[in-house]
Amino acid sequence: MNAIDPRIHQALDGELAPAALSAELSRVVERLVTAAALLAAPLPLASLESRVMAAIRRPVPSRARRLLRWLATPRAITFRVRPVWSLAFAAVVALLTLFPLGHEGPDIGEHEGIAQFVGRFPGAQSVHVVGSFNDWRSGSIALEDVDQDGVWRATVVLPTGAYEYMFVVDGERWVPDHLAERLVADEFGRENSIVIVRPARR
Amino acid sequence: MKLWLGLALLAGPLAAQSAQARLEGRVPGAAIPAVDSLVQRAYAEGLPTEPLIQKALEGGAKQVTAPRIVAAVQVSLGQLRDARDLLVHGGDEPPVTPGEVTTVAWALRRGLPGPVVQRVLVALPRPPRASAMHAVADLVAHHFDPDSGADLIIAAIGQGLVPERLLDVSAAAAHELQRGHTHAEALALVRQELPNVPASPKPTRGAVARARRPAAPTPP
Repeated sequence: MNAIDPRIHQALDGELAPAALSAELSRVVERLVTAAALLAAPLPLASLESRVMAAIRRPVPSRARRLLRWLATPRAITFRVRPVWSLAFAAVVALLTLFPLGHEGPDIGEHEGIAQFVGRFPGAQSVHVVGSFNDWRSGSIALEDVDQDGVWRATVVLPTGAYEYMFVVDGERWVPDHLAERLVADEFGRENSIVIVRPARR
Repeated sequence: MKLWLGLALLAGPLAAQSAQARLEGRVPGAAIPAVDSLVQRAYAEGLPTEPLIQKALEGGAKQVTAPRIVAAVQVSLGQLRDARDLLVHGGDEPPVTPGEVTTVAWALRRGLPGPVVQRVLVALPRPPRASAMHAVADLVAHHFDPDSGADLIIAAIGQGLVPERLLDVSAAAAHELQRGHTHAEALALVRQELPNVPASPKPTRGAVARARRPAAPTPP
């Protein structure tokens, strides 16, 4: 084992100025000071690396679990509402509850349904639907062409059951419903259309 | 007893009177006595009279001549008798329900062969059978073989489908035809789906809002 030069000891203890040393001894002292500084520095915690690695290796939680966690995490939500808007909102809700929209038309019974009649009669002045639901009486159920596009429509509440019918165009021309899937011979040389009315409340 | 006998004797003429009242002014006068006589005969045989009155009113509305109206009512009476006979052979105890007679008469008019009607009657021993009959008739109207169509509807009944939903079965088969399947394929596909055939759409809120009730509709 080589003995350390006493001047190095003195320089490390601060008893000898580094400038008083030779260049070689000065490099040795500098290396020793650097080594001492590294030894004195605090070591990183041993568990940090393992925690980081564990976090990296941990499987990603499922989407459902993440959603559940998101839902379960308390969050603060702040509403800034002017009282006048709150009152207006409450008034609208009250009006809609008391007078619901779209509740026009007749009340439909348990044994009633809705029949929709549609026919294309361009240039017609009037179209009526006539059948066993109205004793074959022309004039009681008129179709309307609201858009003036030649397509005539009527929506009627009828007791459930099967009915035969025809359209009467301009009060004199009897025409079967070409859109009807069911037809039956009328015993007078023509065909009646058939509509089956099913209960509206199913 | 005398009272009941009196009421029974009065019932026939009263029914005829009400028929006559409905026909007057709407059917050529020359046809009314003959139609009236056919209505009385139907009543005496326990058959429904409404289809006969409706046929006469239809003829009057279509301005058909009196002889043709009488002939059409006569044909209708024959169909009602055939329907009654089928119901009795199918196991219904006489007197058969007028509504069921009308249903079976409809089925015959729509082209269902008697034996097919009878098969449906056996599968559905209790009324109502209107939906089943119309479902089979709908299939026949789409050129399905009547027996195969009846098989499908009877299978649907066997799977516990309520009568109301049987029309959805025939609609599903027709839908498969529109998709390009053959008749045999359509039947097989729908049979596989049973009992979960798609339900027909309910009327929309808009349709309900637009709906109007005609003056005094007459039930079928």
